[in-house]
Amino acid sequence: MEALNLVQVLDLKKWFPVQKGFIERLVTRERQFVHAVDGISFEIKRGEVFGLAGESGSGKTTTGRLILRLVEPTQGSILFDQVDLARLSGEEMRRMRRRMQIIFQDPFASLNPRMKIGEAIGHSLEIFGMAHGEEKRGRVVEMMERVGLEPAALLYDAYSHQLSGGQRQRAVIARALMLNPDLVVADEPIAMADVSVRALLLDLMNELKRALDLTYLFITHDLATAKYICDRIGIMYLGKLAEVGELQKVYGHPFHPYTQALLAAVPVPDPRQRRTQPMPPGEIPSPINPPSGCRFHPRCPIAGPICSQEEPALRELRQGHTVACHYADRFVA
Amino acid sequence: MSEPLLQIRDLSVEYPTRGGLLRAVDGVSLTAFKGEVLGLVGESACGKSTLGMAVLRLLRPPGKIVSGEIEFRGQQLLELKAEAMRLVRGAHLSMVFQDPMTCLNPLQRISDHMVETIRTHRPSMKVKAARQHAGALLDRLGIATERLNDYPHQLSGGMRQRVMIGLALALDVDLIVADEPTTSLDVIVEAQFLDQLRELKDQFGLTIILITHNIGIVAELADRVAVMYAAKIVELADVSALFGKPLHPYSQGLLKSVPNIRLSDDCLEIMSGAPPDLINPPQGCRFHPRCPRVMDRCRSEVPPFDEVQPGRWTACWLYE
Repeated sequence: MEALNLVQVLDLKKWFPVQKGFIERLVTRERQFVHAVDGISFEIKRGEVFGLAGESGSGKTTTGRLILRLVEPTQGSILFDQVDLARLSGEEMRRMRRRMQIIFQDPFASLNPRMKIGEAIGHSLEIFGMAHGEEKRGRVVEMMERVGLEPAALLYDAYSHQLSGGQRQRAVIARALMLNPDLVVADEPIAMADVSVRALLLDLMNELKRALDLTYLFITHDLATAKYICDRIGIMYLGKLAEVGELQKVYGHPFHPYTQALLAAVPVPDPRQRRTQPMPPGEIPSPINPPSGCRFHPRCPIAGPICSQEEPALRELRQGHTVACHYADRFVA
Repeated sequence: MSEPLLQIRDLSVEYPTRGGLLRAVDGVSLTAFKGEVLGLVGESACGKSTLGMAVLRLLRPPGKIVSGEIEFRGQQLLELKAEAMRLVRGAHLSMVFQDPMTCLNPLQRISDHMVETIRTHRPSMKVKAARQHAGALLDRLGIATERLNDYPHQLSGGMRQRVMIGLALALDVDLIVADEPTTSLDVIVEAQFLDQLRELKDQFGLTIILITHNIGIVAELADRVAVMYAAKIVELADVSALFGKPLHPYSQGLLKSVPNIRLSDDCLEIMSGAPPDLINPPQGCRFHPRCPRVMDRCRSEVPPFDEVQPGRWTACWLYE
């Protein structure tokens, strides 16, 4: 039987040691850590688009990389299709990775400039010994057509600098799909594209997901874009999940004061709807010494005494909608 | 409407490239009135940043202004000698760039940046007085005066961008050209910054040209908006008029492709095609190969940029 959850993340942590200078190391004994991801749990259901949203430094990208085991977790576990990834050997992990692929933000940096586009897209087929020569070419051309990289036969031999930004991102998408993965981690896949191209790429990703039975982890800082693709969303703040739920619920009725601020801050393309809500003061603090208790408390408009002392756990306030806030009950309608 | 502060007339900028001459700004006329926020929107490579740089005469060679005029406070900027232009820049006319980290010298303290700017234009002012002035400015921008002693890397992204605004305001400038000022900022910091910009605009009676690809912040802040496509302005209107009923098919397509977080069940529309190559732009209207309402005439004749309704300008044969 197929599990409902394709990915299950349990109490995942990643602390990066802070590099210090030689003298500093001699003087201070204490080691410092960047608490990039600091104890998060969530699941990604098979066939859904799960969004991870938050500002820079919230830990969303690290989370994506942890799931692919591109960085090793400090603590916690990741179950992929019920298999604990931490227990896999290097070779087993390599085979598992065929089922999980990543799309990076910058298609300039993630395509080898000295490789033909078609070769770059089909490279993974060769690495895994799945297809060579003419067969590989045929499968790559088919995938290129599928993602709208046309005329495929011609573009196969082009180099990445000859492609437009939108075409390059299509190539990166095609490459991720070549091995027929179950999960695609898309890390800000359209952040670099122009508005008109963004709509096109979103549409393509939605269509591919339906056609190929994909599951996406969609990492983004752009909440407006997330709306057009995500089924569920997790809002991250300073290495923690502040709120998780079905997108309609989280956007329609956010419980966490941070989510509320984040949603209100998104500029609306309608001058009749100019924002009037005040913004929380300051910026996201350093993840080296995060605030005690609830990490948002120094900026929170409704913080009480308990917030600086006790860390709120994620709890389900409505079906399919969980929040980590001591005072969120007041927002339940 | 108040009096014009900046008038750009028929301005063209060219870059010689290996492939031929690239006209990045092509016959643009635009006026900024005193006290307004004039939004200039368009996608990458439409020429909006080049236009902003041209106004300050900061184009990087080999880019150069090949025709047109820029009148600012009654002065013809293109006729000024380099030294005279340098004195206008900073004193009356200033620029805020996208990435504050690359605009601030990493080896100079914030105070050095500010004192240098102030004393370049007011050589008689003592260092101490300039420092005080700088401190007061930072304070006004919500940054503690002690931060004057910090180096740029010690400040957060939002603070750095506020320092950039502080530098722009260090002298009593009339016009700020802000090129993607919030693009490197996170959304909450962006919102804080926009609030601050709005406040400063009122306090100092500033005029701001806001260059951005972010349609949302234009809707948030601008009074009037110019839409640029392939080196030309295709539409100019009050912000409410433009968003209420865009006239040019490009503006229509652009606005429909912008995600709106407040709408619950909308679909993004997709514009077919891509912007043209500016070395060999299409004949006639440059948007015609992508235009859903293209007519025969559009393929051969360039539509004039005309006032089709009071205060509304567009370059499209549909409105002739």
